[in-house]
Formats: sequence, C-alpha cells, structure tokens
Amino acid sequence: MLPFAAMSRPIPDLSVMRTTAVRPGPLGLLGVAASDVWSRRQLIRYLVSADLKKKGRDTLFGNVWWILDPLLQMAVYVVLVSIIFKRSEDDYALFIFAAILPWKWFSSAIGDAILSVSGQDKLIKQVQFPKLVLPVAAILAGIVQFAFGMIPLGALLVLLYPDRISVALFLIPVVAFVQLIFTLALGILAAALNVFFRDIGNLSRHALRLWFYLSPALYGAAVIDEIAGSHQYIAQAIKINPFYAILNGYRSVIYYGEAPDWLALGSVLGVSIAFLVVSLWFFKRVEPTFAKVL
Amino acid sequence: MTTSPAPLTGEPDRRPAIDVRGLGVRYSLRLTRKNTLRNSLANLVRRDGGGGHFWALRDVSFNVVHGESLGVIGPNGAGKSTLLQSLAGIIAPTEGEIAIRGRLSSLLTLGAGFDQELSGRENILLAGAFLGIDDGEIQRRLEDIIAFADIGQFIDAAIKTYSSGMRARLGFSIATSVDPDILLLDEVLATGDQVFRAKSKERVLELAKGAKAIVLVTHDMHWVTEFCNRAMLIEHGRVVAEGQPAEIVRLHEARSEEKRRSAQAPGG
Repeated sequence: MLPFAAMSRPIPDLSVMRTTAVRPGPLGLLGVAASDVWSRRQLIRYLVSADLKKKGRDTLFGNVWWILDPLLQMAVYVVLVSIIFKRSEDDYALFIFAAILPWKWFSSAIGDAILSVSGQDKLIKQVQFPKLVLPVAAILAGIVQFAFGMIPLGALLVLLYPDRISVALFLIPVVAFVQLIFTLALGILAAALNVFFRDIGNLSRHALRLWFYLSPALYGAAVIDEIAGSHQYIAQAIKINPFYAILNGYRSVIYYGEAPDWLALGSVLGVSIAFLVVSLWFFKRVEPTFAKVL
Repeated sequence: MTTSPAPLTGEPDRRPAIDVRGLGVRYSLRLTRKNTLRNSLANLVRRDGGGGHFWALRDVSFNVVHGESLGVIGPNGAGKSTLLQSLAGIIAPTEGEIAIRGRLSSLLTLGAGFDQELSGRENILLAGAFLGIDDGEIQRRLEDIIAFADIGQFIDAAIKTYSSGMRARLGFSIATSVDPDILLLDEVLATGDQVFRAKSKERVLELAKGAKAIVLVTHDMHWVTEFCNRAMLIEHGRVVAEGQPAEIVRLHEARSEEKRRSAQAPGG
C-alpha cells in the first residue's frame, strides 16, 4: 500500500525546515531578501492590486482622482506662486507639473511604506511570511498611480504646450527608475524603523513637506543661486539632496526637451543602490523581532 | 536535501514531524513596550536599558511524530501561544532549534490577515499568497474553500460586511484547505455556530486521521482528552510534564486548584 501513496505526494523529508537561533551573515541576509521578493512575487502582485482597488473605491470619481489630484495640486501652486508671489518661470504649469507628479509618487509611497509593516501587526503575529513584501508592494503600487499621471501630462503637453513635445519624453522611465531605487531604499528602512519608533510616521509628514520645499520643484536654478547668496548651507543642502538631480532630470526631459544630466543622475543611482543594500540588510536583520515587538 | 541524521527505525514516517530541542524564546522588555523616541532616549540617558529580559519559553524539548496529536495546556501566560508562534516560524528562537518535517499550516487566530475592503474571494487568494500556497493550487481549491465556508453570495462582498462567524468560517476553510502534514491549532475550534462547529470538528479529525501531526493549544480540557493522544503541561515557559492526556489534565487541574487555594488562603 505504501508505494502509490508515497509517489502521489511529495516526500515530507525533502522539506525539512529548521529554525535556529543562528542568523545568516550580511551577505546571506541580502540573498534571503532577494529570494523573499522573488519567491513571493505573486503575493506582491496581489497586494499591489488590492492597494489600487482600495484607493479607487469609496470615492465618486474613483481612480479618476489619480488624474485630477496632481492637476489640482498644480493649479494651487500656479495660483500661489505666479499670481500671489509673482515669481514664475515660462510655462509655469508644465514647469511644476514635471516635478509634482514624481514627488506625489515619492511622498505617498514613503507614507504607505512606513505604515506597511506596523499596520499589519495582526497578520505578522499569525502567519510566517517575508515581511519585506509589504513595503515593496506599497512602493510598487505608487508606480501605477505615477503611470496614470502620464495622462494629464500628455494632455497638458498636447493642449497647452505642443512646442515642448520632444523625443526626450521617452527618457522619463530612466529617471523614474533612479527614483524607484531611492524610494525603495528609504521606504524599506523607514518601514522597519517605524515598527520600533512610531514617531517616524508623525515626523515623516513634516520632513517630507520640508524636503519638498528644499527640492527644486516649484523653483529652478535662479532661485537656488539667490538662496546661495544669503544662506549658503541651505543652497548646498538643496544640491546634495537626491531629488535635486531627480527633479532636474524630469524637468530636462519633460520641460526643456533635452537629455538629463547623466553624471548627476548616475551618482544618485549609485548612492541609492548602496543605500538600498544597507536598508535591505537592516530590514532583514530586525525582521525576526517584528512579531515580538508589534 | 536533508541534513538530519538517518532515522533509527528506517521508516521515514516514524521520524518526528516536529523536533524541538532546547527551545528558548526571550523577549526584550525594552522592545516590547510601545516605543517612542522619547522613551528610547530616556533609556539611553538612564543607561539601564529599560528593564531587561523575560524568557517566554526556556529549555523546551519535545517531538511529535506523524499521526500524533499533542495537546498543550497550561495557565494563562505560560508560553503556549509563543510555542505555537515559534513552531509556525513566526517567532525565531533565541536559543535551541526547531526542525519541521512536512508542510505546516497554522490556525492561530482565524482571519487575521483579512483585508476588510476586499471581497471574500479576493481575500482567499491574498491569504493563500500570504500562507505561501502556490497560486495555481489556491485557484484550484477556490471553489472547495468557498463551499466549505458556506457563506453564500457574500463571497463577493467586502469582508467588512461579514459577521464574525462568517469571517471565522472563511479563515478555517482557507487554513485547512492546504492539506497540511502538520497543523497548529490555537483555541479556534469554538468558532461559528453549532453546525459549523460540528463541521470543523469533523475536518480537524479528518486531518488528524490522515497521518498528520497536530499541535493543539486550548483551555478546553475536553478536547485534550478526547482528541489528543499525548499532552504536555507548560508553566512559566517550561515543560512541567508530558504524557497521557488524562493524566496531564488531572495534574494540571490539581496544580491550578492548589494555586487557587494558596492564593485565597490568608497570608499565603
């Protein structure tokens, strides 16, 4: 009676799972992190689609908000800066829209990533799964919203600024890739830290707002030069900031219709990859304690 | 590939499905306290680390072979749930080793991972993905799961519209659909209405019969004597006794009775 039963089922012996107090070293942890994400790609896919479904529900316009939101935000800043402060650039709507769109992706992805682990406390205490999928899914979901943002961008270009259309627009995904790596690095780190320090969530909202104003989103090089005259260190901070290169990159390809500053973008990519390695290591290092702390 | 030594009996089925050796789980009280930066800074300044450690489990060793069902009993806070969480791989051991042979499914608290906004059907797929079940497999079992949960047309409504009984039924149905070799149960049997309780009891017995190992944590001594063929009593994170269910239950009841009496007696 044994052989058939043994053939029809995988032999349990092949799947001995051991858990011990011994943890792998830094390189081992990175390998585990990579296999976590790869082996659970289906789970990530479900989490992303669940996230998008939820964001579309419960509002009258549903996913139309992904298109309206950046447009309305742009309108607010156009009124504020070009009418009230009277300091705008040519074609100011497009000038800031090229920055608002990626920034919205970044800030909402970071906000969602921060809560992604601590918000799933019940699940983490009940089911064993690689927690890394949570911030990764939260950040990837933002890409879809960003992609939807291409619709109003296209409309803006075609209807209002047809002479700004150029082949450089095809470089948007390249800049977006650099941004994605940086966002993953920061989001994964922040998600892990927020498990231990819930202050991160509160702090992040203000930090992100300040970061936005210290990035060349609403203003360009002229304003930074002006700041450098009076506040040298702030001007330096603006330039060291990864979003200086990233937003300028978007602006080059969307607004100026030229290639981005490859050197600046490449350096941000290099730093982001190193940062991502550190974040992944840190996340995997503290992951075993999540179930105890939450 | 297995790294474990060859079995003594030569028959693979008799090798322990669960092998726990010298398991210890330590909680850092500094971490488990709800933290804010302020607390941590205060702790840093005080330099006392904020209150040391506490062992939820210590020196726990036992094994469960296929076909066996082990009932774990003990007073509240004895470490029963921590033990199940460690077996499920949710909590990593601080010391010692756990080896699990076979496919494991845990029914700790039903429906913990449900997303309130998603429909029952979507939640089945999501829960399956969280549990690490192959997507094709969960798609194949989808109809069975829905049929067993027996929640009718609600399956396409958002989980937030479900009653707690419906939620528990769906959770139970998902967790037991995977045909596990090893099943971990934590006080979940008393969910749902009478009919579903009988049905779930039947399913648990069926799983137990299929040469599967079961670890059950419960306060219901009836379950232990009726369905377990071995029992283990733990107190303060240590194994106090292990053996025949009836014997262990008697011991547990005697010990808690004694504790109650000494607590009531004036002056200890």
